[in-house]
Amino acid sequence: MKYEHCIRCTICVENCPVFRVNPAFPGPKQAGPDAQRFRSNREKSADEWVLLCSQCKRCEMACPCGVEPAQIILRAQQKYGLEHPHSAAHLLFANNYYLSTLGSLTAPLANRFAATKIGKKIFQHMGIATYIPFPKFSFKTLRGTMKSRSRETRKVAFFYGCFINFYRPDIGRKIIRMLQSFKIDVVLPPQWCCGLPALGNGNLALARSFAGKNVASLSNYVDAGYDIVYTCTSCGLCLLHDYQGIMEIPGAKKIAENSYDLHEYVLKLIAEGELKPQFREVNRTLAYHIPCHLRALEIGYPAANLMQLIPGLTCRILDDNCCGLNGSYGFKKVNEVTALQLGGRAVSLIKKTGAEAIVADCGSCRMQLAGLSGMDAFDPAEILCESLGIKDKK
Amino acid sequence: MSVTEYDVIIIGAGVAGLTAGAWLSGQGLKVALVTAGEPTACLSTGCIDVCATDDDPLQGIAHLPHEHPFHLVPAGTIRQALDDFQQIMAAMNMPYTGGLENNRRVLSAIGTFKTTCLTPVTMQASPQNENETIHIITFAGLKDFYPGYIISRFKNASFSTYDAGASTTMGIAANFEDDAFLEAFILWLENQHVREDKIAVPAVLGLESAAAIIKQIEYRLERPVFEIPTIPPSMPGRRLFNGLKDHFRRKGGMIYWGWSVVGVEKTGRQIEAVMAESQGRPNSLNARAFILATGSFVGGGLEAKRDTIMEKVFHLPVFMPGEREAWFDQDYFSMNHGIGRAGIAVDSSFRPVGCPWDNIFVCGAILAHTEALKNGCGHGFAIATGQAAAKSCLEHLP
Repeated sequence: MKYEHCIRCTICVENCPVFRVNPAFPGPKQAGPDAQRFRSNREKSADEWVLLCSQCKRCEMACPCGVEPAQIILRAQQKYGLEHPHSAAHLLFANNYYLSTLGSLTAPLANRFAATKIGKKIFQHMGIATYIPFPKFSFKTLRGTMKSRSRETRKVAFFYGCFINFYRPDIGRKIIRMLQSFKIDVVLPPQWCCGLPALGNGNLALARSFAGKNVASLSNYVDAGYDIVYTCTSCGLCLLHDYQGIMEIPGAKKIAENSYDLHEYVLKLIAEGELKPQFREVNRTLAYHIPCHLRALEIGYPAANLMQLIPGLTCRILDDNCCGLNGSYGFKKVNEVTALQLGGRAVSLIKKTGAEAIVADCGSCRMQLAGLSGMDAFDPAEILCESLGIKDKK
Repeated sequence: MSVTEYDVIIIGAGVAGLTAGAWLSGQGLKVALVTAGEPTACLSTGCIDVCATDDDPLQGIAHLPHEHPFHLVPAGTIRQALDDFQQIMAAMNMPYTGGLENNRRVLSAIGTFKTTCLTPVTMQASPQNENETIHIITFAGLKDFYPGYIISRFKNASFSTYDAGASTTMGIAANFEDDAFLEAFILWLENQHVREDKIAVPAVLGLESAAAIIKQIEYRLERPVFEIPTIPPSMPGRRLFNGLKDHFRRKGGMIYWGWSVVGVEKTGRQIEAVMAESQGRPNSLNARAFILATGSFVGGGLEAKRDTIMEKVFHLPVFMPGEREAWFDQDYFSMNHGIGRAGIAVDSSFRPVGCPWDNIFVCGAILAHTEALKNGCGHGFAIATGQAAAKSCLEHLP
């Protein structure tokens, strides 16, 4: 929130994906530090365009002066959300966790409905974009399938996140099998949505309620000697930054200090000599699309370091472009054009590399890029499992 | 405690840091680059200024004061480094023209000329004097470019305005990446029946495809087309940064964004690791040697306090041009502000003078006595010292 430190160099503006394609958004410099000087707690927000910020945080990563434009805008979004009625789409996406719980319970029905013409019409009427298909709910969630074990000395509490739990439990199961093959004991602690969707839809109170429950639950595991491992980069951003920051959850510092990105964790064990995985040849040429929130975690690109160890694998890193979907952002009708233009550009640069498939840590990036390109999009963990010969067993 | 061990860590993602990093990666070393944010190179014109005090840049360097760090770089290394740079950028489809034989001029957005050595190919046709006849294209709503400034200095210049559906350099440049937009622009331009010898456009002709875009316009309009660098956001600066960054990656280098170094681990005369600010555990990275390329005051490598100047990463001893009164000249536009000489003084191996550690090497704008504005030694100096410091680093690697 150091908006006074801004020297107006416009490097953030050059990095803003929304600014590039949507003239209605004045860019991170104006929406962030510039406008902040005119915002007052005693006055109602009039800057509706703050909602056009997708919270990709690219401006923060680019700023040479330590100003956090996205954070300034995020707070303006919460203030705006508090003072104005929420649209149907905002309400639905903020409550994504409850919606997905319902969707999974009724998966066969819900998936079929979402794919019908009538279903799509209803979504559009509610202000929800349907240019790429919705992810399919999985009837069996990760939570519902895994049992915990407790034999090993190294213990991991897996914060799997909504995307894996509701849509791709198969990836979650593979990750657990991989960690177990490293002689690590994995448990699934009680957990809720990380709160980022609520935050992104201007609902700070709901975000805080999710966060409070997660911190209370995970805290017990940290005390019992577990390391927390997350795989969704946006969940990670919440655990590391937002719980301590904007959400001001007591005890969040302990969670941040003990949470690891999956690949960061594996890399750490290798570096400490505890682990010598036997990576076997994987003959693939991949384009590694770096999710914006992986950049924002400020931990480097640990999955890239790991994939370098796999013989036969060629992996081109692409970190200049946002996929445009940004979780629920691109699913809102008002952002559809922005999301499509950004996605189109990201896909065209991926295709230029000649890669056969895409790899990305973030579920929503994969959904967008696979949907727009027709190519396969993998989680880096899937590539590691392929190299280690780990398969999903139901 | 560190999770990853590298041979060399570069601090700073500017032209000097990326040049040094790519060169070392090319020698087979494991290199990481850490940076707090994006470099001031993004704000630059993208031109490679070697030394602007003489028509012959090498002559200019020869006449620089004896304490100038350019004298530490052998002439062969300067030539090699700039040749390498031109090859790298050509391979990235952003070729540079010019050579060390003589400096050239580039038309600025206010109608003056800037002296430089290598220019992006998009500025190759930039006029060399005010008598050339040029037709300027500007864009509706673009606040950052007024053709009137140039027309007031050129006898034979006129302009026309195109509505690009965007009013920022970034937005227009993104549009130019679209083939249909480019085609519509060319058709419109053909309809202007331009009579002048050359066509000038503010530097918005695309992001990564600028060289190809300008070639296509030239082919259709049958006359030279050139870009005029704008105030930031500056597309040629961004193209330069992107090209060097991608090249470093292709050589195998790893970049850590958002890595503002807040501490170091050391044993004896060696720096062992650099630590970054983090909201979780402290992040740290180990290496055998470190190259400091954090730039000067604007780049964030140096910070001026009331009566002292600090180097922000290792707290190295900083050369200061006397007491505070000696830092500045009375004339605001003077080229002789003493503060331009502040920085890190190094020995012939590019290691800081009076430094308690043996494995730090320094290059780029943070070097003392550079006086970049006065001597016109910008990116060219960064490229030359970047490669020279990298060579020395390899030679002295513990």
